[in-house]
Amino acid sequence: MRELTITTPEHVNIKLEPAGSGSRFLAIMIDAVIIQAVASVIYVVAVNVVPRLVAAAIFVTASFILTWGWHVYFEVKRHGRTPGKRALSLRVIDARGLPVSLYQSIVRNMARIVDFIPAFYGVGALVSILRGDRKRLGDVLADTLVIRESQPLAYRGQLGAERHFNTLRTPRTLRLIRHRVSLEEREFLLALCLRAQKMSPASRYDLMEEVAKTYREKLDIDDTSISGENLVRDLTAVLFSKR
Amino acid sequence: MNIEAFIAERRPVWQHLDDVLKRAEMAGDTLSRTDLHELVELYRRTCSDLNRVQSNTANPEILGYLNQLTGRAYRFVYRAAHDTPVWASFRRLIATEIPATFRRERLAVIAAASTMMLGVLFGAAAVLINPANGRRLIPPMFFTERPRDRVERIEKGDERIDNVEKALFFSASLYTHNIKVSMLAFSLGALTIIGTILLLFYNGMILGAIATMYVLDDVPLFFFAWVGPHGALELPAIIFSAAAGLVAGRAFLMPGNLSRAASLRRVLPAVWRMMIGTALTLVCAGIVEGSFSQFSSRTFPYPLKIAVAVLLFAGLVAYLFLRGLGEEA
Repeated sequence: MRELTITTPEHVNIKLEPAGSGSRFLAIMIDAVIIQAVASVIYVVAVNVVPRLVAAAIFVTASFILTWGWHVYFEVKRHGRTPGKRALSLRVIDARGLPVSLYQSIVRNMARIVDFIPAFYGVGALVSILRGDRKRLGDVLADTLVIRESQPLAYRGQLGAERHFNTLRTPRTLRLIRHRVSLEEREFLLALCLRAQKMSPASRYDLMEEVAKTYREKLDIDDTSISGENLVRDLTAVLFSKR
Repeated sequence: MNIEAFIAERRPVWQHLDDVLKRAEMAGDTLSRTDLHELVELYRRTCSDLNRVQSNTANPEILGYLNQLTGRAYRFVYRAAHDTPVWASFRRLIATEIPATFRRERLAVIAAASTMMLGVLFGAAAVLINPANGRRLIPPMFFTERPRDRVERIEKGDERIDNVEKALFFSASLYTHNIKVSMLAFSLGALTIIGTILLLFYNGMILGAIATMYVLDDVPLFFFAWVGPHGALELPAIIFSAAAGLVAGRAFLMPGNLSRAASLRRVLPAVWRMMIGTALTLVCAGIVEGSFSQFSSRTFPYPLKIAVAVLLFAGLVAYLFLRGLGEEA
């Protein structure tokens, strides 16, 4: 998946992640259900007030306006989020990172009729899956993008505090760790420690030994008395401890 | 840098920005002055935090959270001008912008209209050469009986639309369907150009073939009185949506030395004005088709219906090509 990078005037690169087809599909289902429900309520109310055929005319018009206007209204007035998108933390934005404009919203929603071929997003889903930025045809025409907004930040526990006796805490090893362990590796090690408990014992042992072997070579650690898992945990603790 | 300590220290700022953004998103365009100042201030601080975090960690959770937060704030701080009042801009749209856009994009309108005319001529010629061709060109669902039989049946029987309710319902079904067709004509044109050309030609061909069959069967007046009143609006509307599709398609498929996105952005205002014009015309056409068009000669004489058709068409053309002509800069 190709992420969108906006460089702000403050020279900060904001990276936004395109939403996947699955969550978008679910969002559109939610919207479709709400729209149908609202239209039905309008019909039930109308049929009790005016003659049946007039109520039917109102229903046809209302469901048409709802089906095609719903997305435009919410995208423009509610900052790119229809109720369905809101429920799944999705948002429609201008592909330059700005809010979506009325023109863009109208064009992206008119093209829905082609994305809908042959039934409920055949073409749209296919195009979206094939493109790195997950745009459907309407997004391509209006130059818009649906992004996924990540959930609130969860609290991260203190891994560094757990291990009091750490054989890696020698000046030489610490220096090597600083120079040879990249940011991505740090996150990988942390994720490995956090997920270790969910693995089966055999695969956990194999994985830990394999990772430990890499770092033994990388950091010149000769001490073979520590197990793979202990080495990985010591290393992670060093990386994330309060210095 | 100790990332955990950093998060613990800066978290209140981010939380505050999140709260202000939530308020701002709820409020629509009525954000208070203090909130706005606060938003800008918090946005700048969070931006510099994002910068530091980007160089100190690759943790997807923290990066995702801060990117999302700054991205949302960015859209508030750097958005384009605020909307003008809806009603005023709608009036301006109808009064000047739609006609002006049509005049500017007349080449596309002419191209679309000629394609349809070619289709009409082709259909007419095919039926003139051999009347049996009519059955081959026209889908069976539109061709259930001979023109003369149909005219007789309609003129003998009761009026199909005998009250306002039926007319309303029929009209509503017609214009919603037709607007969908216009959206299809637009989208096909914008994405492929050729799709719209084929659609126009095909529809023109069917129209030409049917018209010629009615003429050959000696009931031309019925046909033009039946199709004319709404056709005078509906056919131009479909041509307009196709023209909008051609404009967008040209920008999309032949962007020249611009990027596709930039090229599309340039034509976007013209395209959506043309499509709003199309939709409004189709609503009028639907109402005419659902009521007036359905009456036979016992209620309205055919010459009167044809006169109304000519008037409607003249009115539409006058609106699009004369309205606000002097006001253009």
